[in-house]
Amino acid sequence: MERKFSCKFVCLVLLMIGIFANAAFSKDMKIGSCIYRFNDAFMLRFRTAMTIEALKNSDESVTEIEIADSQNDQVIQNKQVDDFIAEKVDALIINPVNRMESMAIIEKAKAANIPVVFINREPTREMLDSYDKAWYVGARAEESGIQSGQIMAEYFQANPDADKNHDGKIQFIMLKGENGHQDMILRSKYSVEAIHAMGFEPVELASAIANWDKLQAMNIMNGFVMSIGPENIEAVISNNDEMALGAVEALKLVDYNSGDPEQFIPIVGVDANAAALEALINGEIIGTVLNDADNQGIAAVKIAMAAASGKPVNKDTIGYDVMDGKYVWIPYRKVTRSERNY
Amino acid sequence: MAKVISRAKYDKFFSIAGIALLILGVILYFSGIRKIFDLPIFLILIGACVAAKGLISSSKKTAGEVVFSGKTFGEFLTNNAILLAMLVLVVVICILQPRFMQVRVALDILTQSSTKLIMALGICFTLLIAGTDLSAGRMVGLAAVISASMMQTATYANRFFPDLPQVEVWIPILAAIAACMIFGALNGFLVAKYDMHPFIATLAVQVIIYGTCSLYFDMPPNNSQPIGGIRPDFSALGQMRLLSGIWKGFPGISILIPIALVICVIIWFVLNKTVFGKNVYAIGGNREAAVVAGINVFRNIMGIFILASCLYGVAGVLEAARTAGATNNYGNGYELDAIAACVVGGVSLNGGIGKVGGIVMGVLIFTIIQYGLQFINVSPMWQQVIKGVIIAVAVAIDLTKYRRK
Amino acid sequence: MRILGEYILEMKNITKTFPGVKALDNVQLNVRPGTVHALMGENGAGKSTLMKCLFGIYKPDAGEIILNGKPVVIRSARDAMDHGIAMIHQELHPIRFRSVMENVYLGRFPGKFGFVDHKAMYDKTKALFQDLELDVDPLALAGEQSAAILQMMEIARAVDMGAKIIIMDEPTSSLSDREVEHLFKIINRLRSQGVAMIYISHKMKEILQIADEVSIMRDGQYVGTWDAKNLTTEEIIRQMVGREMTNQFPERTGKPQDEVVLKVSHLSSPLKNSFQDVSFELHKGEILGIGGLVGAQRTEFVEALFGLRGIESGEIQKDSNRYRALSPRDAKSHGLALLTEERRATGIFGILPILENTVIANQHKYAHMGILNDSKRRVDADAACKELNVKTPSLETLIQDLSGGNQQKVLIARWLLTNSDILILDEPTRGIDVGAKYEIYNIMLGQIKQGKSIIMISSEMPELMGMSDRIMVMCEGRVTGFLNKGEYTQEKIMELATQFAAHKKPAA
Repeated sequence: MERKFSCKFVCLVLLMIGIFANAAFSKDMKIGSCIYRFNDAFMLRFRTAMTIEALKNSDESVTEIEIADSQNDQVIQNKQVDDFIAEKVDALIINPVNRMESMAIIEKAKAANIPVVFINREPTREMLDSYDKAWYVGARAEESGIQSGQIMAEYFQANPDADKNHDGKIQFIMLKGENGHQDMILRSKYSVEAIHAMGFEPVELASAIANWDKLQAMNIMNGFVMSIGPENIEAVISNNDEMALGAVEALKLVDYNSGDPEQFIPIVGVDANAAALEALINGEIIGTVLNDADNQGIAAVKIAMAAASGKPVNKDTIGYDVMDGKYVWIPYRKVTRSERNY
Repeated sequence: MAKVISRAKYDKFFSIAGIALLILGVILYFSGIRKIFDLPIFLILIGACVAAKGLISSSKKTAGEVVFSGKTFGEFLTNNAILLAMLVLVVVICILQPRFMQVRVALDILTQSSTKLIMALGICFTLLIAGTDLSAGRMVGLAAVISASMMQTATYANRFFPDLPQVEVWIPILAAIAACMIFGALNGFLVAKYDMHPFIATLAVQVIIYGTCSLYFDMPPNNSQPIGGIRPDFSALGQMRLLSGIWKGFPGISILIPIALVICVIIWFVLNKTVFGKNVYAIGGNREAAVVAGINVFRNIMGIFILASCLYGVAGVLEAARTAGATNNYGNGYELDAIAACVVGGVSLNGGIGKVGGIVMGVLIFTIIQYGLQFINVSPMWQQVIKGVIIAVAVAIDLTKYRRK
Repeated sequence: MRILGEYILEMKNITKTFPGVKALDNVQLNVRPGTVHALMGENGAGKSTLMKCLFGIYKPDAGEIILNGKPVVIRSARDAMDHGIAMIHQELHPIRFRSVMENVYLGRFPGKFGFVDHKAMYDKTKALFQDLELDVDPLALAGEQSAAILQMMEIARAVDMGAKIIIMDEPTSSLSDREVEHLFKIINRLRSQGVAMIYISHKMKEILQIADEVSIMRDGQYVGTWDAKNLTTEEIIRQMVGREMTNQFPERTGKPQDEVVLKVSHLSSPLKNSFQDVSFELHKGEILGIGGLVGAQRTEFVEALFGLRGIESGEIQKDSNRYRALSPRDAKSHGLALLTEERRATGIFGILPILENTVIANQHKYAHMGILNDSKRRVDADAACKELNVKTPSLETLIQDLSGGNQQKVLIARWLLTNSDILILDEPTRGIDVGAKYEIYNIMLGQIKQGKSIIMISSEMPELMGMSDRIMVMCEGRVTGFLNKGEYTQEKIMELATQFAAHKKPAA
């Protein structure tokens, strides 16, 4: 609550400064942003990053950013976009409720000639191509898989003894998210490919769907520990942190991953949530992957500001690589004990 | 075709077979074949049980005869179909994956059954009055989230209540169970006061609970992050192992097993030895007649739903402790598993029929089959199919049993 | 003199065993077309089992069924109907929220291009009802019809399906005399059309009036078949019970005392068409009979006394204290007991053992802090069941496995255990065989002797007159008169019971 309040307060102050500045320099700028739902932990970080970025730039051109909660309803979001356009904002940053319905928003922005940056949920290529002032900032889902595979492979490079049977292969267990979920498919596929690309041969001992759930993952891992034997498992790759932590709890029951370096199975997750970071510090997992909301938020605001002030959008103006003139891909970040970069 | 032997001979056969198994187990135990894991110990245990059954019933000297014929064999098959199917499956699993024959596997199955059993015992009360309780799973989630949210270590980065002092363990447990009981009372009130069908009343409450739990879970600063950093004194409630290492390699008995056992005994006592229990059966057997007999149906139905929700609360707290964490999605769909286990254990959905022993069997059968299929890496989709078939077959057999009359 | 033709149905050497019981032992039954064949026997004699074998609900272990000279196997009720056998059950379960005509044509709606032809269904039902002299709108809801009309509806259905054999199980148990008359008219018409009817009843007078032949069963065995005109009530009873039964009612000794235990003044139901302005006094040691036709609101009245229904106005005094039961629990604690009319629906707990059924109303007496003392329960239940001569292998037997008479005795035992001083018995002997009836009468007298009082609703005139010290007659919710012992006759009771009947539509 407090943070929201202070944001609003700062915005209010900025707005007032802006009004004066407007009179003096008329160099102010207003960005309208819609977030699909406020109470999403990831989008919360995103919002914070955007607000801070707007604040940081307020010394050269006064920037105000107004963020609206679309309450997970595309109709509400469209209405909010109309309101922003009526307010004559200089740019839009939109996190669509339904990415396939982004065309309506693009058409509205195009009619008003306002640049629009999409975040987190990606419109199709045709949609972006239909308007020269439309961009997308996001992360490539497959990258989370690649990086978790890399964390595992790097661990094996650093600890040759992790290959318990010394056959040069990594015998692993895969804990998967909800069946059919895009992230589950990509993370499962690319993590294995990344291990392979780094010179290890991955061997899947078993895999199971645990629906992103700690409890289910724990029960399932319990079974694998019994059926395969912890001494035969060399790695656990999990589609998210919660399931990785479930695996930790299951291993703890057989006194694995509880401090004894002889009895350790490397586990890697994705999300870098608080519980996972704690587990990382305790040495219960070897790493996780962070979807970098901060850099995505910064990039989105920078694109919006550059486009609104008529500058071209490229590496020089925003500091991030722009692909095909439309896409800014923010890489995921590895979070491990050696790279304390969270 | 029919063959008749005397009861005494029948018992003698049991005693001898049991002792033979026992001896075989002992021999195998000292033979030191590693490939069969703990099979000798199981043989000794089974042998002891069979021999005990034979010896005890022969000591009672019950007269009579045992008939072996196609008919009695058929009856035996239908009466124990699910149990036999499970035994066959266990044998198949043991052949495919000999690691299944470990004491620790058996203990693990018992551990995983424990929370399910506690839930099933709760839900059986609602089934006994020809009702149901769809809110059970969500109550588990609610209890897990509430208890876990107050049981985080002081140093954890993302605390649910950043300024909450380290409270006594029993406070959040009671808070979690009390929250469940409030919703249980709501269930009971809707059913008893407005004569609502429990299906719809508990469906409504299920949705309310999930919403409430999600709101709580979404409160800043947590914002729907999974709850972690659980205090070790709390997680010990679900993770502690008793008697571990009393001999080499013994993994210890999870504390959940004795907890579930104690609750079993309590529930058995409530159902069989208290006025409340008898009233539950009476209301389930014939609600109208119960009213005429002067039973306070309102109060008893309230009691049923509150007691049931108390058990779900206990299950939820234990799940949070066992996994050292919680999200609002904990327990999702548990009620259906619990209902299915009750039905497999012989609880009639028409009310009035059901025993604690049957429910224990039902839960064990269900867990063993699920665990076993997972053990030999049967795909989750096939596991679902098999689970469904078991439920259908179990109920079909149960109904033909009654129809045979 | 009717000419008795060849048999349309022969059941030969039918044997059926249930676990532990031989329900039917070499039973036979031969029925001629165009006759009413009464099937009699005490409850538990095997009549229902035999009929269920005929109707395909049970499969006999041995024996054969011959229809029109051809042996047949009947596997299901559907099979039976295809063979022209129909059964009118004692308790009817219509689809309450559908019309009468849909109930008549259920499962065989007249169709036109795959759609249900409502017009044809209406016309056919109308014609059918006219034929049976039934004045019922085919579009009326089945749930709103009286038991009598539902029964006629079932008969109409059987006739329309071309049934050649109609089984009627206690068809008059819930009918008034007038309705019985109408039913007999229909039976006579069907008889003249060549339909054979198997008529199960305990009512001697009816049997002698309507039946052509009487077959009697006892303890799962066939006793014999007689021409009805050669039989007397005494002879039938003798054959049924296997012993002489000189007196239908036990001797009443002693007289009611003057002390008033229950005083009801101007009691009215909130429902206008239910009981209104009922007043009476019940004395200690008295049996007050309540007579009247079906629909006289007698059951509703006693249920209100017992706290099952609301009371709008009026006053009740129990032992000179104001009393108003808000629930049966309340009534129970004030020393009232109610044996309901619908034994199966509101009396027994079918799937529970006799033990539980006996002590259920009295649990608190065996409990300390909610925990039961099992041995005390058992001792009491055992004593009560023994005292009332409940015939059962053990207290663990499920009550649904007992005969109606024994079930009723268990229910009485239940209320005796609560030590109530006012017993309200609603049709206490309905559907119960002669022997058990006599036992129940004896129990009633035994209670009176102990200074208890009884209110008894009965639709059976002989029972009402034979047992009551005083009869209160009700008609359409109002008390129309009291008759003292010695001054009542069947005619006087009927007169009072039909006082308002002038403007009342006949039931059929």
